[in-house]
Amino acid sequence: MHPDLELLLELQDLKMQRRELLEESEERRLEEEIFRVSVADAVAELDRKIADMEARLPPAVRGRYERLGRRGRVVAPVIGGVCYGCFVRVPTAVWAADAGRNEALHVCENCGRFLYLTP
Amino acid sequence: MEPDTKTTALRLRDFFREDAISLDLQADTKDEVLRELIGLLRVDDATAGILFKMLKRRENLGSTGIGRGIAVPHCRSVVVDQLRVAYGRHRAGIDFKAVDDRPVHHFFLIVAPPIEISNQYLPVLGKVAQLAREPDVPDRLMALQTPEEFLALLDEKNV
Repeated sequence: MHPDLELLLELQDLKMQRRELLEESEERRLEEEIFRVSVADAVAELDRKIADMEARLPPAVRGRYERLGRRGRVVAPVIGGVCYGCFVRVPTAVWAADAGRNEALHVCENCGRFLYLTP
Repeated sequence: MEPDTKTTALRLRDFFREDAISLDLQADTKDEVLRELIGLLRVDDATAGILFKMLKRRENLGSTGIGRGIAVPHCRSVVVDQLRVAYGRHRAGIDFKAVDDRPVHHFFLIVAPPIEISNQYLPVLGKVAQLAREPDVPDRLMALQTPEEFLALLDEKNV
């Protein structure tokens, strides 16, 4: 897997985890009640990790990441040739050869999100 | 195939495949247990690597060892396209930094995509927690001989 995509996937998952903890969500309730997570400590830890990982992104990737981050998800899976960020079909030439391997960093031509190509 | 939870009450057993149940985990450390559990999902190496990192990061926020020898490692990640679960038993027990500081023998792994149309992740997490609270469950899990008995226990407990 392309190392930048790996970073982007982790960042997206960490940010989602942070968001869930901060909202008055069922997920937060379960984390607090069942697993006794301290939300304040967990969010502070996530913030440290996120900042550290963002600093490791190359400038061009980071620029797109920040632009996309303002309007939601940064990485979208491609399932059956469809970008699940905008639900537009991705050209076969873009995804078929790298599906499941993700050795290159692909971007959706329609919505601009980074793409995670499922097998 | 994803279980049909629209027309029937959610049942844990519908999410467990027999080949995702191991009654003889071989791991010696917390990290090795996580890797062995992920292995039960039979995903590709790249997916396994991401899941491992996410599960580790979740553990760093606080152990998912909820006491009485049970842990529920869990995370959401875009690298899975549907809810996946696995169960693993470790006879000797693993230091998992559980809330009661006791070794963990029973591991329920739950991973899910960020957005699920059927919204099964939290109900499944809640059901596992409900099962873990049953007084006899740790002993019953330790006595299991086959994956089929594990599924039968879920049925019996009506979770």
